[in-house]
Amino acid sequence: MPDHTEIDLYNYDEFVPEKFERWMRFDDSPPVGKLVPDFPLWNLDRSTTSLKTEITKHAYTIVEFGSFT
Amino acid sequence: MNKVAVDFENSDIGSVFIYTHEAHPGENYPHLTSMDQKFRHAEALRDVYGVTRRILLDALNGACHRHFGSMPNMTWIFNRSGIPVYKSDWSDSHSVRNALEYYLEIPNRRKAGERLAPFHVERLDYRNQERELFYESLERNGPKAVAEFQKAFPSG
Repeated sequence: MPDHTEIDLYNYDEFVPEKFERWMRFDDSPPVGKLVPDFPLWNLDRSTTSLKTEITKHAYTIVEFGSFT
Repeated sequence: MNKVAVDFENSDIGSVFIYTHEAHPGENYPHLTSMDQKFRHAEALRDVYGVTRRILLDALNGACHRHFGSMPNMTWIFNRSGIPVYKSDWSDSHSVRNALEYYLEIPNRRKAGERLAPFHVERLDYRNQERELFYESLERNGPKAVAEFQKAFPSG
């Protein structure tokens, strides 16, 4: 089970630098050209899938990350 | 980004949107505390913003998003082997389109006899900031989201 502190920190409740800046970590992101680990993901119908399943279906797959806000 | 997905769907290019966390939580779309809520917000993203690509939800702790740098609206492109070939800390359709056109040309270049080997490149691309649309979206989130952004970035 994920740690609730981690969940709370990630899902910060207000847009203030001390809460959002810790997540701006693009400089620490994986390099291109190297395999990445798999992660569980969920479809909107609540069925499960995974990152690897999704990104190996096509010659190339665009993955945009974001949210409503 | 929807149009890029449509324009390239017949070229064996897939496109998905991974739902992360609320970057600018407000009264109408507060921070996430459950997967049920995350599903509701993702459905709102589809219905209100008209995202036509498949929307996939990351875990509530953002395990996938955090692994890739947890920027609020970034884009990656993976090849069929599951290897990232492009990463961008912000999403920009012009940049993504440009990258796809480059990658789709590779088989033709190989057929033409070129011996190609991968290499790394960094470049600075330019995105449209779309400030009016951004402020409209903040207002949709709720007054709290607007006030917090203005406080964090007084110059806008």
